[in-house]
Amino acid sequence: MMEQPFFFLLEETRLFGMWHLPRNSVSSTAFLMSHPFGEEKLWSHRVYVSMARALANRGHRVLRFDYRGAGDSSGSSADTSLATHLDDMSMAFEMLVANQPSIERVGLLGLRLGGAIAAVFAERMTGDSRLANGPLILWDPVMNGASYFHEQLRSNLTTQIAAYGAVQEDREALRARIQKGGTVNVDGYEIGQPLFDSCARLDLLHDGPKQHQGPVLVVQIAATDKQAQRADLEALAGSYPRGVCMRAIEQPFWREIKTFYGRADNLQRMTLDWLEHERV
Amino acid sequence: MVLLSPGIKMRVGPGRLYVPLTDALNADGYSVLRFDFYGLGDSFGELEERFLPDVYNNIEVGRYVDDALTALEWLREHHGFSAFVLGGLCGGAITAVLTAERDASVVGLLSIGMTVTLASNSATPAKYLTRKEIDMRRRGYYRRLWKPRAWWRFLTLQSEYDVIWRSMTQLVFGANPPPSRAPDLTPVKEAGAEEKGNANPLFPGAFFSLLERGGKALLLFSGNDRQEAEYDEKFAQRYAERLQHYSSQVDRHLVANANHVLSLREWQDEMIGVSLKWMAKFDN
Repeated sequence: MMEQPFFFLLEETRLFGMWHLPRNSVSSTAFLMSHPFGEEKLWSHRVYVSMARALANRGHRVLRFDYRGAGDSSGSSADTSLATHLDDMSMAFEMLVANQPSIERVGLLGLRLGGAIAAVFAERMTGDSRLANGPLILWDPVMNGASYFHEQLRSNLTTQIAAYGAVQEDREALRARIQKGGTVNVDGYEIGQPLFDSCARLDLLHDGPKQHQGPVLVVQIAATDKQAQRADLEALAGSYPRGVCMRAIEQPFWREIKTFYGRADNLQRMTLDWLEHERV
Repeated sequence: MVLLSPGIKMRVGPGRLYVPLTDALNADGYSVLRFDFYGLGDSFGELEERFLPDVYNNIEVGRYVDDALTALEWLREHHGFSAFVLGGLCGGAITAVLTAERDASVVGLLSIGMTVTLASNSATPAKYLTRKEIDMRRRGYYRRLWKPRAWWRFLTLQSEYDVIWRSMTQLVFGANPPPSRAPDLTPVKEAGAEEKGNANPLFPGAFFSLLERGGKALLLFSGNDRQEAEYDEKFAQRYAERLQHYSSQVDRHLVANANHVLSLREWQDEMIGVSLKWMAKFDN
């Protein structure tokens, strides 16, 4: 396997990418990986790297990249929106197919908000046969953008309490600040109105039946096997012609937990077994 | 400038802290290298530790010093640099000082939230809390006195009883006297020898090694972080007289109210401003 970091340009924006390329037995299906938002990206980074390497060892060409305002890409999260994320993903897809012309199908893999963005991107690209028939893998996707960013604001409240001993601006005040064109800091990432408002309209179940024709794996990541099956993820899988929902027992490795997560063995194995089953 | 990754976070640092710092240093004309240590970020290798405190602990005793030395060697060979400032947050800072001890081409240390303790001892926090930390914890308990959830935790055996007990006994009986200072100019003890509590025995020797050869250090701390109190109580007070000899080489700055990772923009801006001003000392 060969790995190669590089930068690619989208107008003024410099995006960071990382190739994971197998040396032999190259599959005609490549993968594009969509990372989560904010600090969730950093906590889950190593799991992503391990998964990309596992896919490359299986013969797939894999491209990971950083959205603008994240990782090594340029820009600030304050200037991002759902649209910029989709533009970045589109550019990464173009990079992938331009550099690997022999690929016939492109699979998407995303975790949390990265999963939601991958799902939206797949629906927008149903006219492209390489994506339309490719596998779509959604690891614990964010189902509702409004709820997700509502939770994100809680982190700002925690920071306020730690810094000043009390909440100086409650959630409503933070929302008002965003609506007036300001930003709110969540673990070092500024959230502005374009991202907040555009993601508030993100509702994976609301959109009804999906058009994506490829096989779809929706994974519920549960800390224990006693955790109930999530009906919303089941419904999401059911909204795809070829969707299936499974449950992987893993700790929430996208947050700070006591365990060091270099690899999510159960999740990775489940995903690779599913690809085998789907003959990808 | 070589910015060393903190903890298990990759080369951008928590909240991408290293990105605006790198941009500001670049804009001032400094070259900056950020890279991933073995088994982290995009680098190869697998870490064997199962729990984060063990990973942190191994970083604090120098797991990544060889990686940092290799990076310096690479910069010398491929880019012709001959002098370096090493920087980093927390685990990156301790790696920087331990690396500086072994490479004389390191002329400066940009430390953000230097950790002078060992993380594996966090399993028994009450034993190692500084007086300042205990005061902070006690104020937190006062704030939660009227919260049913806090009482629920207390009554269902979920609270940190040892910390509560120590904070209250300190209130009643007063703080313990500060630890005795190390004698003036006494040679720094070898690693592992006679260190009390959870202080990192490798830190004093490495830090003084940098200072003895004329190196400079900027110690940045955050107001809402335990690192400054630990530095004072577990290192600076013990070595006060010896440190005094190098006072002109050590600058210190506290970013008021900031948390450990300087997550707010204003905290980052302050840290960057102070760092750039300090870096100007190396311009000649």
